[in-house]
Order: sequence, then structure tokens, then C-alpha cells
Amino acid sequence: MSDVLHVLRCTGFAELARVADAAGLSEAETESGLIDLAVDGLVTREMGAWGLTAAGTAEDLRRTAAELAAAGTEGLVGSAYEKFMVLNPELLDLCSAWQMRSVDGVPTPNDHRDTAYDTKVLELFGDLDRRAEEVCAELAKALPRFGRYRHRLGAALERARGGAREELADSMTSYHVVWFQLHEDLLVTLGRPRG
Amino acid sequence: MIHPLEPGLDKTADAIGGKAAGLVTLMRLGLPVPPGFVVDVDACRAFLRDGTMPTGLEETRAALDAVSVRSGAAVSMPGMMTTVLDVRGPISPAVRDVFASWNTPRARTYRTLNAIPHDLGTAVVVQAMVYGDRDPHSGSGVAFSRDPTTGARDPYGDVLFGHRGDDVVSGRSATLPLAALEDREPATWAELTDALVRLEKHFADACHVEFTVESGRLWLLQVRPGGLTARAAVRVAVDLADEGLIDRREAVRRISPQLLRSAAVPRMLAGDRLALGRGASPGVATGRVALTADRAVRLAADGPVILVRPETSPLDLHGLAAATGIVTHRGGLASHAAVVARSLGRPAVVGAADLRLPEGTVITIDGTSGEIARGNPGLTPAVADPHLHRLLAWADDISGDRSPRGGEERLAAARGTL
Repeated sequence: MSDVLHVLRCTGFAELARVADAAGLSEAETESGLIDLAVDGLVTREMGAWGLTAAGTAEDLRRTAAELAAAGTEGLVGSAYEKFMVLNPELLDLCSAWQMRSVDGVPTPNDHRDTAYDTKVLELFGDLDRRAEEVCAELAKALPRFGRYRHRLGAALERARGGAREELADSMTSYHVVWFQLHEDLLVTLGRPRG
Repeated sequence: MIHPLEPGLDKTADAIGGKAAGLVTLMRLGLPVPPGFVVDVDACRAFLRDGTMPTGLEETRAALDAVSVRSGAAVSMPGMMTTVLDVRGPISPAVRDVFASWNTPRARTYRTLNAIPHDLGTAVVVQAMVYGDRDPHSGSGVAFSRDPTTGARDPYGDVLFGHRGDDVVSGRSATLPLAALEDREPATWAELTDALVRLEKHFADACHVEFTVESGRLWLLQVRPGGLTARAAVRVAVDLADEGLIDRREAVRRISPQLLRSAAVPRMLAGDRLALGRGASPGVATGRVALTADRAVRLAADGPVILVRPETSPLDLHGLAAATGIVTHRGGLASHAAVVARSLGRPAVVGAADLRLPEGTVITIDGTSGEIARGNPGLTPAVADPHLHRLLAWADDISGDRSPRGGEERLAAARGTL
């Protein structure tokens, strides 16, 4: 059950539905896996949300390093990470542009009344997503579990295009939150510190 | 074309970029600027068209030792393009890198968002390096002619002794308030504050400079007008009119109804200011400091919590959700923490590198101005702002309409007749 353990390492505390979605498993399978991990003292459930214990974090670090060593693809993941880090500031610019606009040089919350502006931001998300798709494909080649991010990012963008605009940057299942978890996953996988 | 930076350089910001135009202004006012030259916007356009590099680059550069190579477009695109510091030897590769950085996908996205034409191009400023990390009488900083969060008439900013300017911007090192310069380098302080007064007179506006002190000698590296919060912009417009730098009509012209709306957001009263970061998600929040996400969740059961983190990871998300307000030491307005804070509607201050407090301390944060204060200094609603009332009274004088109505309407009526 490395999947569910590692998913929790990248999502942080999350309720069952979000863990299942991130893992790409049914809720029943996910819950069964979580219970096994809880018995081993690797995960805990607090106030309705599942999260890692300190032992779980250490165990995930060990398993992730072993997985990468077995795959022998550290170089591939590293080069894809460099490409991800080129896209990361642009994605954060886009999320910020969705949430805030400059009025006479002063940042002001986007009231979403200017539909032409919002449409432009959504199009730019689409443009970035096409480039992110290539990075995700490289990652999935190096370690297949990264393929799940491609699916989740695409699904979030589709929901936003379908009218659920909070799925860009303003919900717990948004494009930004999935991206944030991918960022964390890359750092954990490569054993690098943030920042 | 290559132009030496000198007071007589008669080119607009459209031709040589905003940074070089500002440096020329500084030189005309007799203020200290490291020697150098600017490669103009036309040269960038030629490079972007067919890869042609300007002639005479290395010959011009030969007069200088180590140099900095910085972008400088006519329109500000902060952090979007390449900067190369401490170049010795040939500079063509660095200039080429700066030109090419005009067209990175991120820079293109920024321009599309801000309706800046893609064919503008950037100038490149090449200057002799000055070293803020040379000795104990060296340092770097940013200085505002007035407090950018309140508009108060005192110089404001940060200084970092023994470091270069890039360390100030990155937030890697804790800075000191600008006034520390007064104690440690009184002559430099006097020179700097005098420069700010002269620049305000020139621009007829509040402005800010980037500076480096090298072995006790002051150098100015950039000047820009503005950079204020909405509330500060209102106060500065009124004060500048009182000081005779602008007239009342100009003061009214400078504040748009949209800016007035931003100025109406309640703000934190000036209190015991512990740190100033950057306001990343608007609103004011008071609570007890929690230093980990788990602590934030636990403390939140007993009352409001401000989560203070070096930066954030997804492992902090439950803490961010439980907290009433969020502070980070590192990171900018476009960081994961800023995006998540806005998505949760939590006030947030990012890049508050100096804030080090024990858990449980009660603090208040202002996500508009970036201010962090001890305890709960309280709120000041816009209706209590005397500067705002005076500005609106001037607006009524201009429009001749004194009927009771909202501030935005009063301002719009006056601006309609200007």
C-alpha cells in the first residue's frame, strides 16, 4: 500500500474522498489501505481527516527512495523537475492573476465581473497545461505513479472550463492544489528541500 | 544602439527603458550612480528579429571592471527577466541572455495578462558592480520617501549590512529597518534622505530607490515613483497638495474611484509594529501565534490562531484552514502560501523574514499593507480617515456638487470635469 501512504505524504491531512481521488482508487480500497497503515502506526485519523504520523513520514521516505533506486530513473525525474520549476512561477502568476488584479498599480481582489479578463486567464491556464502535460509524460515514463497527476490536472481544468471556476485556484481539488502536491511529490522523491 | 549613462542622455523610457531613464534622472539631480551604459530597446528588437547583436558592446564595456547586466523595459515587469551580476570579461553572452528572457513563456504570459505588447522589447543596463558585501561599512537596501503602507512623511525601508541587493529582495536574510542606517552610517543616512527629498520634488510624488553602500559610499541603483497602498496613496496625494508640490486638482486626479474603493478596506491601526512583509491576501486578523500546522489546529479550538511558517507545503494545508491568518518568512505575492490563503479567504502576509516570536504571542496582521503588530491595535475604517475626507471635500469643490452621496461618486464627478 505504498500508494496511499505516499499520497497522504503529498496531500497532507485529507478526508477519505480526497485521498481516494488522489490515489485513483475506490473509497473502499483506499479506506482498507488506510486502516492497514493505521494498524502499523503509519497514519492517523483526526477530526475526520487522515494524515501521516512521524513514523509514516519516515517510512514513506524510505519506500520512495527505494522505489526510485529500483527504477533507476533519478536522472529522468531530476530533469523533469527542472522543467517543472520553470513552469512553477508561471502557474503561480496565473493563480494570482485569477485571484487579484492590479487597479492603478494597487493589487485588488478580482471581482470576476470582467468576463473577457477571466476568459483570458482561463486560456492561459490551458496554454500552460499543454506544456505541463509534456513534463508529466516524462515523469510518468520515469515513475508510472506520476501519471495520476496528469489525469487530476486535466480533470480540474475541465471542471473549470465547464463553469466551476473555483477549480482553477480556489478549492481543495483545484488545479493549484494538485500542482502544489505534484511540487511536494517531486521534492520528496528527489529528497530535496523546498525553497 | 549603445548609450553611455550620463546626465545629458536625452532619450525617453520608451527608447532606453524605465530603469535607465530613472538612472539618468538621478544623475541630472547630481545623485551618485555607478558608471555604465544602456543598450537600447531597438537593439533588443533587432536581436529578437534575427539574432543580431549590437556592435561595440565589448569595446564600451572595456572601460569598466566587473559589471551588473540588468533588464529594463519601458513597462515594469518585476522579476520576469534575467539579471546577471558580477560579470568579468566579455558581456555579450549576458546581454544575449537578458534579450532572450523577454520571450520566456512566463514573460509572455505576464504581458498577455497585463495587455503589454509582445514587440516592445527590453533595454539592458550595464553598470560597474558595487559591493554591499565588501566590509562592515557596506550594505544594501530599499528606501521609500514615505511609509508605503500609511503614507506617513518619514523615510521608510529596509537595510541589510554586509550583503548585496539580491539578498534583500530574496528575503534570505533578515533586514533591519532603514533607520538603522542613521546609527551606523550617519553621513550616508543624511545623503540618502536628502536624495529622497530631491527626488520627491522632481517627480512631485512619493518614490522609492534601491541603494548600495560600498565602504561608506552611497550608490543609487534604481528609482521609481509610487509603490504605495491605496490608503497611503490618498494620504500622499493630500499631503503633497498641502506641501505645494501638486495642486488640489492634481491630488483629485491621482485617485481613481477604483483606488478609492481599495482604500475603503478596513486597515490595522498603527501599533507596536513587529515586522513588515508583503500583503498577500487582504483583510485584518488577530490571533495567537502557532508555529506548526498541527499546533494551529489544536490552538484553534480555544480561539483565533495566526499560523507562522518559514514557507508552506501541502502538509500545512489543514493548519492554513484552521488558522484565522497566515504569515510566511519567505516567498512572494505569487507563492503557494499566497494562493492558498486567498482561496481560503484568510488574510496573509508573506516574506516577513524578520518575524521570530514564541508560540502563543498575540499578534495582528494586515493582509493589505503587510504590517504585523503585537497584540490587537484595533481597526481604522476608511470613514475615519481625515485625509480621505479632505480629498473628497476638494473633489466637491471641483464638481460644485455638495449633495450627500458615496465617495466614489463624488470623486468621479470631480474627475469628469478635470
